[in-house]
Amino acid sequence: MSTIDYLAHGLATAMQWHNIVFVFLGVLIGTVVGVLPGIGPMSGVALLIPITATMTGGLGPEEAATSSIILLAGVYYGAMYGGSTTSILLNTPGESSSVVTTLDGYQMAKQGRAGAALAISAIGSFAAGIISLIGLIFLAQPLSAVAIKFGPAEYFSLMVLGLLAISGLAGKSMVKALMMTAFGLLLATIGIDSVSGVERFTFGMPELYQGLEFLTIAVGMFAVGEVFKTILERESNDGEIAKINRILPTRQDMKESAGPIARGSVLGFFIGLLPGAGAILASFFSYVMEKKLSKNPEKFGKGAIAGVAAPESANNAASGGAMIPLLTMGIPSSGTTAILMGAFIMYNVQPGPLLFQDHPKLAWGVIASMFVGNLMLLILNMPLVKLFAKVIETPAKYLIPLIIVFSVFGVYAVQYSTFDLLLIMACGVIGYVLSKNDFPLAPLVLGLILGPMMENNMRRALTISNGDFMIFLQKPVSLAFLIIGVLWISIPLLLKLRGKKVIINEEG
Amino acid sequence: MNHSFDRYAGIVFCAIGIAFMIGSRSITASAYGSNVGANIFPMFLGGFLSLMSARLIYETFRKQRQQKRQSNLDYKRFVIIFTAAVLYAFFLEDIGFVISTFLFLMVGFQTMERGKLWKSVLIAACFSYGVYYLFVNVLDGSLPGFPAWLGIS
Repeated sequence: MSTIDYLAHGLATAMQWHNIVFVFLGVLIGTVVGVLPGIGPMSGVALLIPITATMTGGLGPEEAATSSIILLAGVYYGAMYGGSTTSILLNTPGESSSVVTTLDGYQMAKQGRAGAALAISAIGSFAAGIISLIGLIFLAQPLSAVAIKFGPAEYFSLMVLGLLAISGLAGKSMVKALMMTAFGLLLATIGIDSVSGVERFTFGMPELYQGLEFLTIAVGMFAVGEVFKTILERESNDGEIAKINRILPTRQDMKESAGPIARGSVLGFFIGLLPGAGAILASFFSYVMEKKLSKNPEKFGKGAIAGVAAPESANNAASGGAMIPLLTMGIPSSGTTAILMGAFIMYNVQPGPLLFQDHPKLAWGVIASMFVGNLMLLILNMPLVKLFAKVIETPAKYLIPLIIVFSVFGVYAVQYSTFDLLLIMACGVIGYVLSKNDFPLAPLVLGLILGPMMENNMRRALTISNGDFMIFLQKPVSLAFLIIGVLWISIPLLLKLRGKKVIINEEG
Repeated sequence: MNHSFDRYAGIVFCAIGIAFMIGSRSITASAYGSNVGANIFPMFLGGFLSLMSARLIYETFRKQRQQKRQSNLDYKRFVIIFTAAVLYAFFLEDIGFVISTFLFLMVGFQTMERGKLWKSVLIAACFSYGVYYLFVNVLDGSLPGFPAWLGIS
């Protein structure tokens, strides 16, 4: 069957009525998550995993997985839409990838053009979503065809590359990021070893036999940690919310932003493909590029519509691009995709080259649902933007305790154990303290998720080679991955030594 | 950047790395049909973690600039909510979801901001029972219900 056939089948899956409901819920919740301060796409997706698990309880295993992933992916790209709303109206980004949008978006709002800015960012996000989907459709099949030829050694090296790339770009200190990665991988070894069946580091505690559940750690570190931060630091939205007058952009606005949207989408998509780069870098680079290309760069920072259109398109395109390494190779390239991957694994679906062979319905269903979801987001965001702006005003007094309740409820609904509930509280404190001191948390969760796979592949490769570690260097593809990984880490270091400023990714 | 925190964190993580290395020595070194055992991966990573921690500790000594950041943290509010959350987690199974959630929400709302007692009661009650009803009766999930000694259900 050709790609088009598969896509048609996927569309048929996505158009089943219950899946349409799931897409709708996903993008709606995603937008709200993006708008609400103190809860980002990562904690949003993590919190919703248990709820979707229950909602899909009545379906067969594959349908349940498809519907849940459709909803969770909807939350992911919906949050990208929602994040721009607060950037423009309040000058505070709802999630970190809309930081750049505040530069021009808030200025536009001050000039009374908030409606136009919001509309352009919705249109840009939509165009970017579609462009990145087309890229996804064309790249998914060939990439997984390549990846399927990988043996355990190649896989191990690919994961090393992915982890190094994320550590190289995460946070202010590379040493700290590498520490967090190693710590996450170590935490993943707790429990019963899946190859030999011996127990490791369990100290006889039955709660530890099945290992630390990634969901517990992710909810604790991101959702609860963020809540503790808000409580301690008394963050609040005291800023004035700008008024929205006219929603539809003028013809002049559309003309000025068509180019930036197209360029931002393509650039964002390719940056999203790179492991570790992600939406923040994409929005930043596209802003810089537009400023360079513009005929009157002095307008940037004073309410140029291109300064809203380009980064917003780029960060949405990047979130679509980030799905590609996840779906085709099973390597998440950002914190949120790592959590999505955890959801895949919970449903016993292994993302990777075999995904398109073993679960074509799921893979193409999810891809097609992103078409539907982006369309819904456009429709939702244009007329309802005033309603979403109201969501910002949710008082922290009620929001903060409710997020804790949701975390407890979510984890308990899946794990049924008090041990896990106490663990999220501990993780919340640890997560807050670590991230406050610039220890990035995304590498930790990524290590926790990739740990078991990485270890299995390493041991398989070593079994093939009779314990000879040179196998990782003798296979050419594996060697290439390792070299790229080392370069990824060392080039920024060299640049820093020569006194250049290196841009970093600060997603959680 | 807070160097003294980094130093302590470095020491703690270094100790964790070493502990994992020591711990992995007691794990069997071979699996069936393979001379690669369950100990290699944690052993290697433990070493890597302690090396990186050592590097971090070294960095904190190299740049000895202590800049005190003016921090005004609201510890009282945090301690109350955190204690309430831990108690909530601990007693969830004993007193049931609805009652424990209601109590936790009341404490949480009132600690965040005093006043509007009736509004808090209303929101907490609606939320705790609403979520329970939706999850258990509509979605057929399972949550600890009311404690048996209340005799409700």
